[in-house]
Amino acid sequence: MCGIVGYIGRRDATPVLISGLKRLEYRGYDSFGIATVGSALEIYKRTGSISDGEAGAAGLQGSIGIGHTRWAGYGEPTVINAHPQIDCEGKIAIVHNGVIENYSDLKRELEERGHVFRSETDTEAIAHLIEEHYDGDLLAAVNATLSHLQGSYALLVIMEDTERIIAARNASPIVLGVGDSEFFAASDLTPLLDYTERVIYLDDGDVADITPDRLDIYNEGEKVERPVELVNWCVEDTRKGGFDHYMLKEIFEQPQSFYETIRAGVDEGVRRMLMDAGEITLVACGTSYHTTLVFKYLAESLCNIPIRIEMGSEFKYFTGPLRGLVIAVSQSGETTDTIAALNMAKARNCPTLAITNVQGSTLTRVADRTLLMRAGPEIGVAATKSYTAQLAALIQIINLRCEGMFNDILSHAHLAIGDVLLYDVKDAVALCSRADHAFFIGRGPFYPVAMEGALKMKEISYVHAEGYAAGELKHGPFALLTPETPVIAICAPGSTYNVMVSNVKEVKARRAPVIALGVEGDTELPEIADIFIPIPDTHLLVQVLTASVVLQLLAYHTACALGRDVDRPRNLAKSVTVE
Amino acid sequence: MMQAVILAAGEGSRLRPLTRSKPKAMIPVANRPIIEYVIDALLENAIRDIVVVVGYRKEHAIRYLNKLDAPVQVVVQERQLGTADALRAARSEITEDFLLLPGDNYINAESVARIKKERNAMLVAEHPSPSDFGVVVIREGVVRDIIEKPEGAPTFTVSTGIYSFTPDIFSYLHTNEIPDALSAMIASGHAIRAIPADDWQDAIYPWDLLKLNSRMLKGIHPEIGGMVDASVTRRGVVRIGTGTTIGPNTVIYGPVTIGCDCNIGPNTVIMPDSSIGDRVVLEPFTYVADSIIMDDVTVGSHSRIVSAVFGQGCILADHTTTYASASFMEVGDRVLKEEFGAILGDGVRAAPFTTFKNCIVGNGVTIGEGKTVTGLIEDSVRVI
Repeated sequence: MCGIVGYIGRRDATPVLISGLKRLEYRGYDSFGIATVGSALEIYKRTGSISDGEAGAAGLQGSIGIGHTRWAGYGEPTVINAHPQIDCEGKIAIVHNGVIENYSDLKRELEERGHVFRSETDTEAIAHLIEEHYDGDLLAAVNATLSHLQGSYALLVIMEDTERIIAARNASPIVLGVGDSEFFAASDLTPLLDYTERVIYLDDGDVADITPDRLDIYNEGEKVERPVELVNWCVEDTRKGGFDHYMLKEIFEQPQSFYETIRAGVDEGVRRMLMDAGEITLVACGTSYHTTLVFKYLAESLCNIPIRIEMGSEFKYFTGPLRGLVIAVSQSGETTDTIAALNMAKARNCPTLAITNVQGSTLTRVADRTLLMRAGPEIGVAATKSYTAQLAALIQIINLRCEGMFNDILSHAHLAIGDVLLYDVKDAVALCSRADHAFFIGRGPFYPVAMEGALKMKEISYVHAEGYAAGELKHGPFALLTPETPVIAICAPGSTYNVMVSNVKEVKARRAPVIALGVEGDTELPEIADIFIPIPDTHLLVQVLTASVVLQLLAYHTACALGRDVDRPRNLAKSVTVE
Repeated sequence: MMQAVILAAGEGSRLRPLTRSKPKAMIPVANRPIIEYVIDALLENAIRDIVVVVGYRKEHAIRYLNKLDAPVQVVVQERQLGTADALRAARSEITEDFLLLPGDNYINAESVARIKKERNAMLVAEHPSPSDFGVVVIREGVVRDIIEKPEGAPTFTVSTGIYSFTPDIFSYLHTNEIPDALSAMIASGHAIRAIPADDWQDAIYPWDLLKLNSRMLKGIHPEIGGMVDASVTRRGVVRIGTGTTIGPNTVIYGPVTIGCDCNIGPNTVIMPDSSIGDRVVLEPFTYVADSIIMDDVTVGSHSRIVSAVFGQGCILADHTTTYASASFMEVGDRVLKEEFGAILGDGVRAAPFTTFKNCIVGNGVTIGEGKTVTGLIEDSVRVI
């Protein structure tokens, strides 16, 4: 769950690497480091954020370099454990994203042969292996090393007195940017957008030999061609502009990302796949898991099709019998567990569909077909616009199965999302920011919306929050209700409205403060709830979206009120690329 | 190098209901927010160091400004206390002589060229109703006095709100309003030169947007981005955005600008001085003239839309009519009489056969079948 960047060309490498790492900070921000090759190999590493530490890197010379921002997996976030890692002689430097599973065996063997390890990282073993295999040809040494490695890696290697970067990929992402007599490498597109729109995605097993004027890619020793693709993301989308946080910017981009995803529609191949499906299994993690749950509630009732939802991390080890279409949902398309699950579905001959935000990501390479959501780059660690765009893609599937019944509703849904962005939630924020615990409750599709609201709250504000199906609250959690535990209840009109209202009354009877979300014009809820937040009185499909956005705003403003680092919550990274 | 500060923090409450989701500077005229014309005028004068002060609905403004090619710096005025307070918010960004401009008035490049040569000067213009502005008393080209929104104005010369200042101005910002700072400067012996503007236009009330719209449409360039049926008749300057479909036998007489992803026709007529936003649907046999139709509006078939401003996301059923006439109306604290068809806020819904006659309809108003709507209607009202 780290980010890597590389540059080779005519520019000063350091500023390119630093700006690239800033773009990748969402992938991890425990520590960072860069290495450049000029007259010698120079390395700069430190803990903490890049903005705080970049000044110290300014002295590094050379127009070849690699950089790394870390989310600590093996070994604590210290300067020694930060990448780049080097060999015994300090001539070879590497950055690595992934996990080397046979690291302890390798380390033991290398130490027996006299190599001295300084760090606790798995990565350092790779540096020593390359050193051992080096015989005048860096590419050959990397190739020889890779055959010893088990696990996942996206790797960039540089060496003193050598004008080349070797890149290697296995199950961790790496994208190359093609410039004019210069090349860029990064974990994803965002660092490249400043410099080029031409990119090459490496496949698993690829090793790239990069010099300023030449790029050769090998797979299993054979030279291969990988197509140059044009990127349609624009660099403005990766800038914070005048917003205080990326998260707030992305919350406000939701009408657009929703609309763009709906407008992009579904291509013929995906359409046929979806229409033919007799049952659908969806695999996802985290926020994506919540969107698939919303989909289950909506699709089972609206299109009468059996839907099964699996959590990626569980599914890999506990796989039930699989039938029908399998859809994997992941914003980044790099979530390891989701990819593994999709691979298993393929192995069982199920048709597979990826729903992801990142064109060219691993998931799109594994799945038979891809339905791309159009959220644009999402930098904030807490998923916001990718959540609504995922819902857009999934609701699109429902609309398709219902033969376009919801066309009119969907073409105006972005306006309702825009409406709730204007809401002032400060009363509710005041209540939540005083609390240590909060409960989010809802029924039907609003149950996963409540779960997502709770996830947002805990991940960025650190207020402990749990989402429950409203009926389940009495089976235990009721014991925790006090006047200091706000309960956020989503009470949309429909068959569950009356029972939700009585749930709210039960909560009130325990003197817990209630923040109720209901539609505009509701006269009952403002009477019984402490705070009433109205959402537009629209179709259920749209209420799911608007309620979610209100809960995002609540979490965001609560986090701000508590002075949290909203874009970089502690211990987290955006894409979970380890198990 | 000269800098510029554009003030875009104010709501522009006299333009309600159109300012629900955006500040006045962001209201589209000829499909571009007013502030873009101000930025254009600066860029044409090679003033590239631009600071924009945002406040009311700042997220909307920031999102838009980030997408511009021009590298503008954004600062936030947390509470909208006044123009001088807004300028104070930009203080940390100002190191040179600078121009101060309102982001919600049109100004042309020639006017900017005139004032950028001066230090401590004000652009002035003649206006038929000076009482809506700061009236300026000038003697020998120098400002003697500024009278804010007077009952009986001594002259027709008004301040455009555009100034050329040195950083010294910051020591005169004792209150929250710029005219007070000017008075203080004059009192301490500074000469503020009055420079006549070449072309300047403000929109105080919603119907003023229609005049501004027809003025701005004179400057558009023809461009056809969408799918235009071969049987469509076009005359004059017409702009059509990408993804827009213009159905058969539609007639468009420019100047007209149409945004992206619209669906228009067949058999629709769009007459001069009309601006149509993105994702607008105009159903068959509908006639539009001299109007601003903002994003996501749907107008049903057999409608006649004249001299109207429709806010975002209005859904109007078939046989909708706007009928231009003039009657007395209380806007803000004044009673005014102006001829126009209809001003609709965001998200107005009207059933078939609705007639809008010289009315201002609030956001989210719903109108039942066959009604004739006149006068002022508050937000979220249901007319049954």
